[in-house]
Amino acid sequence: MSAELNTVKKALAAANLAEVEVIEKQGALVLEGQVKNWQQYLEAGYAAAGQDFRGVVNDLEVEGLENFKQQCESSPEDFSLERYSFDVVVIGGGVIGCAIARELTRYNVKVALLEKESDLARHTSGRNNGMIHSTMAVKLGTKKYLYNLRGNRMYRKVAEELGFDLKWPGSFAMLDKNWQLLLGPYARRIASKKGVQGFRVLSKGKVKELEPNAWEEQTGSFYMPETGVVDPYQVTIAYAENAMQNGTTIYLNTKVLGFEKDNNRITAVRTNRGTLQAGVIINAAGIWADHVAEMAGDRFYTIHPRKGVIAILDKKTGSSQSYILGRAQLSSEAKTKGGGLVPLLDGNILAGPTADEVPGREDYSTETHELQHILDHHLVLNKTLQQSDIITYFAGTRACTFEEDFIIEISEYVENLVHAAGIQSPGLASAPAIAVDVRDMAAEILKNKMDLKENPDFNPKRKLAPQPVRLSLKERNCLIENRPSYGQIVCRCELVSEGEIVDAIHAPLPARTLDAVKRRARAGMGRCQGGFCTPAVINILARETGRQVTEICKHEPGSVLITDRTRRKGCEQSAH
Amino acid sequence: MHTDVLVIGAGPAGLAAAAAAAEHGAEVLLVDRESRPGGILKQCIHDGFGVIRYEEKLTGPEYAYRDIEAVRAYGLRVLNNTFVLDLKQSVDGFSLLLQNPIDGAFRVDTKALVAANGCRERTSRQVFIHGDRPAGIYSAGTAQNLINLHGYLPGRKVVILGSGDIGMIMARRLTLEGAEVAGVYEIKDEPSGLTRNRVQCLDDYNIPLYLNTTVTRVHGTKRVTGVSVAAVGADLKPLPGSETLVPCDTLLLSVGLIPENDILEPLALEFDAKTGGPVVDQRMMTSVPGLFSCGNATHVNDMVDYVSESGFNAGRAAANYCQHGGSQGSVEVVSGNNLLYAVPQRLVSGEEAAIYFRSDKTIDRVILVAQAAGKELFREKYLRIRPPEMQKIVLQPLSPEVESVEIGLEEVT
Repeated sequence: MSAELNTVKKALAAANLAEVEVIEKQGALVLEGQVKNWQQYLEAGYAAAGQDFRGVVNDLEVEGLENFKQQCESSPEDFSLERYSFDVVVIGGGVIGCAIARELTRYNVKVALLEKESDLARHTSGRNNGMIHSTMAVKLGTKKYLYNLRGNRMYRKVAEELGFDLKWPGSFAMLDKNWQLLLGPYARRIASKKGVQGFRVLSKGKVKELEPNAWEEQTGSFYMPETGVVDPYQVTIAYAENAMQNGTTIYLNTKVLGFEKDNNRITAVRTNRGTLQAGVIINAAGIWADHVAEMAGDRFYTIHPRKGVIAILDKKTGSSQSYILGRAQLSSEAKTKGGGLVPLLDGNILAGPTADEVPGREDYSTETHELQHILDHHLVLNKTLQQSDIITYFAGTRACTFEEDFIIEISEYVENLVHAAGIQSPGLASAPAIAVDVRDMAAEILKNKMDLKENPDFNPKRKLAPQPVRLSLKERNCLIENRPSYGQIVCRCELVSEGEIVDAIHAPLPARTLDAVKRRARAGMGRCQGGFCTPAVINILARETGRQVTEICKHEPGSVLITDRTRRKGCEQSAH
Repeated sequence: MHTDVLVIGAGPAGLAAAAAAAEHGAEVLLVDRESRPGGILKQCIHDGFGVIRYEEKLTGPEYAYRDIEAVRAYGLRVLNNTFVLDLKQSVDGFSLLLQNPIDGAFRVDTKALVAANGCRERTSRQVFIHGDRPAGIYSAGTAQNLINLHGYLPGRKVVILGSGDIGMIMARRLTLEGAEVAGVYEIKDEPSGLTRNRVQCLDDYNIPLYLNTTVTRVHGTKRVTGVSVAAVGADLKPLPGSETLVPCDTLLLSVGLIPENDILEPLALEFDAKTGGPVVDQRMMTSVPGLFSCGNATHVNDMVDYVSESGFNAGRAAANYCQHGGSQGSVEVVSGNNLLYAVPQRLVSGEEAAIYFRSDKTIDRVILVAQAAGKELFREKYLRIRPPEMQKIVLQPLSPEVESVEIGLEEVT
């Protein structure tokens, strides 16, 4: 390996980072020392990647940045989970963890899923563009490619079973120089190699015909019909609810603090709510997966966050666009697909995401220049869109490794640990396939310890609450007659009824915050951004959960919406 | 179900329209999404309503009460908690799909339709404030709703962005409830609300007003912990280096109102980009025959009295339309020099017409001139004219040959 260590040292020297120390630990490259800024931290990480090591652990300190490695603060402590025992403990309530939990319930195993936040999909899974990518933009030979290909093809069935919405608008990767059309035959060959079904090269005129409002500067486009769109939050919830239906227990506000080990085997998981016995541990901790790996004693990668800002446009823009619109990324070195415009399921258009390397893993603040990028690079791809169509914007972070590939494997150093880490784009598209493989890896480990059988009661179909807007008039009236609250609209922009909000609050995984209600039932997602419905939703939450309004939070403990009662208590009112 | 005139919205405009339509002999159905009529007036417990119409200073609920009583006296049908789910044109008018918890979803056909939907507030995202999304960011109207209708205080230390009327009124209201208002920040060089509100709501309570200043960033991830404020240059862009941190737990926004006409979108009617509402004539008829618009859905008014006035006009005209038909007037009103906008944008000849307008900047000593084909129709002097204060003039009936009327403000030099 020393030859390869030397290669890395040379690469670092070439990047003026000769002072960075490189050592090998547990088959991984570890970078130590100090660099001047975040850019150098990243450069060192990338310079070390691509060799025949298990991964890059970037332990460099950065001048003036002291807290970037620190985890978010711990949730309140109790011992409610002390001595519970599970065959499998899944760490992380994003789409990956929830999909894995659901797939595991096909076996006769007891599964727990731990999530440190007060709701699922609070981080990367709830902060992305919801695309089910074609494989055109991923590198052959990577795990990203393999899982993307399989995952994409699994989505139809999963959507049908779990009852979430899915559409296949197809995507355009538009070109802006005439000579680029000469790449057509080459692109076709690549598409065929990568299994991109239905790939076509479209002339400028054809693009105009199919998408009359497309970018003025386009000179033609690659077209990938098998690009889909889902609501990533709904997919996560769907997987989680079906997992719960089939016996999984989900613990929110539960953060992993460490592991108890017996030689190379984890015996228990220490959390802020007590210590659980565990047979197999799945690390699906997203942006914090490297911390979990470190606590488990198998540290061979470092996650660095790549922030993406997304803007959501008013529903009335939806009719101006049929396809997903983006620019072709002709360089294979690009680390992102560049973002674009995605027609969402509910009629809005999504613009973005941007891509900026930042130190803060949960830094979801947006900046002026990021929004400007969306205006300049994304909004122009549909010439009818204007800045004033933007109703909201937010940020998410991608959980990137320096190898820029997924890590889906049984640990080499801890015999009952499985990593599902480094999941960045196209992670959502890959989730169904990753879940199946991780399930099999867990089964592999479990087989030696228990009599693993199929779960005879497994039901792949998720039970759904009534959705009034999808019913015929007659059915809807029947529903309203039985429960009048389905007839009472609370969110005027998205036409969400009180009944649907109550259902979300009492769902298998209860929505207990304003944002959880918003994401579950869409109340507050519209153009007034909760201006009108917020008071009513606060009241419904307080009433349904038996809490004071001053205890109702926006998204996490501490995010109270109402600080006090007024001096004279006001007229006590119910939701209306 | 069938009716002559269906009025959407039981705020001041809709109440006036319903009463006027009933007075003129139409069968009227008034539909409102809330549990009680009165619209936003219900939460406006401060006074100052009705100074023109009644020469009295009423509170919002008092003002609404008079209109609600009038509507009750006509015995017309009122549906509360009722939403319009779908709206389309039919052979003899409009067909609406309505829904409420008692009757479920049902269709109603009407000959004439009055859209009195009111307006909504611009959000923090529409003025491009950055940072994360902590709790404690509210529009001024939402805060007003929380305090006055529910008895909930949204925060203890408040920064208000925008000196719109609701923002200034909420500054006073919050102070009276024991909250501390750190300041009202206005990006422009003068308040964007009425002068009386500046005096009565800010000056009288020693609440500082910072002009040429804006909020650029919200701090905090759970609850707001502060905001960055910055001075702005002539281009209204923040000046680099001028940012300071103001600690607070709440940011209220009073940064403008947007007429709400989203449910009319399927009807493909003509809109005025300057007002954000439909193009109307003095009868408040839109470009779709039989569809009338009034109140803050047509354009954002400064005084409720004008809102009611447009409602009466719309209701009366809707009742007449049911008997005589008709379409929008064809005389174009051109808003010329120094005008932000003028409403109505079309006129019917041979009928008196009130025209409401706003200037595009504060001007001292100006003359408003209305003319048609070079002939002066109307002239009025103003010592000072400000965009927040809407003005009204009345034009005498136009002769049939007039095709357009131009209205402009001429500065006296």
